Amino acid sequence: MKILVALKRVADPDNANKVKIPASGEKIDTTGLEWKPNPFDEYALEAALRLTENGTQPKVRAGEVVVVTFGPKETETTLRAALATGADRAIRVDASDDKLDGDLVARALKALVEKEKPDVVLMGKQAVDGDSNQVGQILAELLDWPMATFAATIREEAGALLVGREVDGGVSTLRVKLPAVVTVDLRIVAPTSVYSTKTPSTHKYNDGVRFAALPAIMAAKKKPLVEVKLADLAPDQALKVSYHGFAAPPARKAGIKVKDVSELVSKLKNEAKVL
Amino acid sequence: MSNPQASQNRYRADLREMKFLLFEQFRLGDVLGRAPFEAWGVDEASMVLDETYKFACEVLGPLNSTGDKSGCRLEGGRVLTPEGFKDAWTKLYEAGWKNVSVNPDWGGQGAPHALFALVEELLSGANTAFNMYPGLAHGAAEVIQLFGTDRQKSAFLPRLYGGQWGGTMCLTEPHAGSDVGSSRTTAKKLPDGRYQIRGTKIFISGGDHDMADNIVHLVLARVEGAPPGTKGLSLFIVPRLRVKDDGTIEGSNDVAVGSIEHKMGINGSATCVLNFGENDGCIGELVGEVENHGMAQMFKMMNGARIAVGVQGVAVASSAFLNALEYARDRKQGPSIDHWKDPTAPRVAIVEHADVRRMLLEMKAKVEGIRALIVKLALHQDMVHVHQGSDDQKAQYHQGQVDLLVPLVKAYGSDQAFRVCEMAIQTYGGAGYIKDYPVEQYCRDAKIFSIYEGTNHIQAMDLVGRKLAQRGGQNLQEFLGDVAAFVQKNQGHPTVGPYLAELGAAQEALAGTAMRMLTWFQTGRMAMVPLAANRFLEMMSAVAVGWLLLEGAVLASEKAASLPNDESSARDRAFYEGKRHAAAYYARHVLPEVRSHAEILGREDRSPLDIPTDAFASL
Repeated sequence: MKILVALKRVADPDNANKVKIPASGEKIDTTGLEWKPNPFDEYALEAALRLTENGTQPKVRAGEVVVVTFGPKETETTLRAALATGADRAIRVDASDDKLDGDLVARALKALVEKEKPDVVLMGKQAVDGDSNQVGQILAELLDWPMATFAATIREEAGALLVGREVDGGVSTLRVKLPAVVTVDLRIVAPTSVYSTKTPSTHKYNDGVRFAALPAIMAAKKKPLVEVKLADLAPDQALKVSYHGFAAPPARKAGIKVKDVSELVSKLKNEAKVL
Repeated sequence: MSNPQASQNRYRADLREMKFLLFEQFRLGDVLGRAPFEAWGVDEASMVLDETYKFACEVLGPLNSTGDKSGCRLEGGRVLTPEGFKDAWTKLYEAGWKNVSVNPDWGGQGAPHALFALVEELLSGANTAFNMYPGLAHGAAEVIQLFGTDRQKSAFLPRLYGGQWGGTMCLTEPHAGSDVGSSRTTAKKLPDGRYQIRGTKIFISGGDHDMADNIVHLVLARVEGAPPGTKGLSLFIVPRLRVKDDGTIEGSNDVAVGSIEHKMGINGSATCVLNFGENDGCIGELVGEVENHGMAQMFKMMNGARIAVGVQGVAVASSAFLNALEYARDRKQGPSIDHWKDPTAPRVAIVEHADVRRMLLEMKAKVEGIRALIVKLALHQDMVHVHQGSDDQKAQYHQGQVDLLVPLVKAYGSDQAFRVCEMAIQTYGGAGYIKDYPVEQYCRDAKIFSIYEGTNHIQAMDLVGRKLAQRGGQNLQEFLGDVAAFVQKNQGHPTVGPYLAELGAAQEALAGTAMRMLTWFQTGRMAMVPLAANRFLEMMSAVAVGWLLLEGAVLASEKAASLPNDESSARDRAFYEGKRHAAAYYARHVLPEVRSHAEILGREDRSPLDIPTDAFASL
């Protein structure tokens, strides 16, 4: 099986409070931020690796995982890390973060999919910076492929994937014919979430994403990483989404003290009007 | 795990600081990409630190307090390690972190020791007790790689480096601790060239465990008829289970675990009494097939082990400091001193209080300075490697500095580690004394560092009795020269310059004391030497650490000046400012002690020698 995994780097979510908005409010200032791979995309990579191996012999590849990201030269660090974790090849689509939106990324990915011809496109359900939750869905529509979003489990079957999706009322299970687009949720990296046809159903993975092992880090340098121009994939680079302004959430105001329960109830009723 | 709190990772490391040392201060990038480190670049080295830290926090860290609590058990003659250790061992060897700088011929990646020292810091810091087992296997493999025959290498190295087998070093006996030469374990040559081993070894770390299929003991023993003392000791490979020539396991080799010790710290590490040949069935083979070379061979392992102890020290001390810092930023107590009379003034985090800041800065300066000394030493090892065969003079210089700095790293690193841990507890106050926080364990774990692998007095005697005189004193002269050249070059530096007078004065006091000790040797006042040795080692360590901190500060101030003057570089600016303040603190608060020590030693006080033994107490 051949899988294309779309990876996005995001400002380190653990340091989200360091994100700054200049007084003009025209954009988010990303200078000086530390970058990390979007966690959901890391989970997608882990799922892709599990689908292209026999879990009992993880050193033998049984398929191909190609990772792709959009961004400037320094995003290659994110790709190298993915190669060190086990991906086979990497593609960087040269682009500038502020000249992209979900639609343009999906259109460019469509062109890339037509070239690479993967059986599956895997990605996180959303990126933790913009939380747009769009690219997978738009891409499936553009390709006219079946799609399964919020995947918590994936089981490979002949020519299809059985995907367990986490929905509000429980788990909805879909069988999607290949080729397909699948976006993943966080439980996809639980020990028994993903099985290729080669992995015995008794096998249990370690919880979470795998570590990059030392030999793989050294080997990553020799794995192919190519650069593609955005214009070659998407000649029309017009953005559908434009941002009109950014503002930090308003600081919380101090609360007030009430004398007793009846005053509280009265305020909730008459001032807050929530009762 | 019954208590989820207890299996939390508490390990913290400052990777920014580690990368500053490697890539900025010591410019590792200059030697990467070229022989013998062709396979390496800054990206790979950097990724190794990131990934090892992740591994340390996720796999080893959670087992640190649980391993301390449960300890090891001896059941049916076998040692059972704490829950989770075996799984961590498997994962460690899968990830390959022990083989970062192992020669590629034996399955390693041939990285510089400078990188491996920091990888080891991350592993040891997350779980000191656990990391001793693979550490000793690694040390045993290095000895066999250096001195073993080709057959011994191919039989033992792949399995020792690969984690299938563990390893130990067996020196200490009930009667032979620091006095290794009085060892009583014997080796009787058999007709097939192998030896029958008999004797008891004690305090053997990792002497038995349940994580590997076999354990390869390196045992010091005396061949029948060999001379007494250390000169008559030979080194033997004695596997727990006998091994055929092709490396497959044959069966028992009559090595029995007598008992395991119940200790103050490193409770997850099994400290064993080992009985060899109780039933006359213990067979060993001579390392390299040469008799009476045991001490020299073991010293090679000891050198690596001594550096590793310094690394253990900084590893634990660093996490103690970073945990104390986290607590101090969070814990609110008392008002700011500006409002000390106002009982309604807001309570502030204790990090705002002057004495807490003093302790935090002292811990920071010592941890970062000792780490710099370790990286410096490791880089000297690497430079020996780079120049060997092409530029013997340079190789000799670097080897000389390695020899000189090993006892400093071991003794100063371990002494100060304990003091930093103790200070971390003090920073927490009462909370630090409680097992809910990690620092009391750090303190207990750290105490052994000044004792094992040669007590710190053994290190001090190695420094003043052997190392100072090596190459006709040239090693010391070159060290003093490096420091003096740094002082001279940077005297006029706008921010760091003012502290250099302290370093210059300390360097002179150190040189003067070395001369004084030389006259003790020359005039037969030998008894003064051991009285002064530990203090001398501390003086020399302070000069070395002060030098490297100030060197880092010079660089940090240049880097800070080149940063854009806006919000975007606030993080970097704070980091570089921290480097400067740590160096300033060390220069003003620690370096003056060197002069004070010199003055004390100059008085040549003999009271510890003169006091009659009966006069120590009336008991």
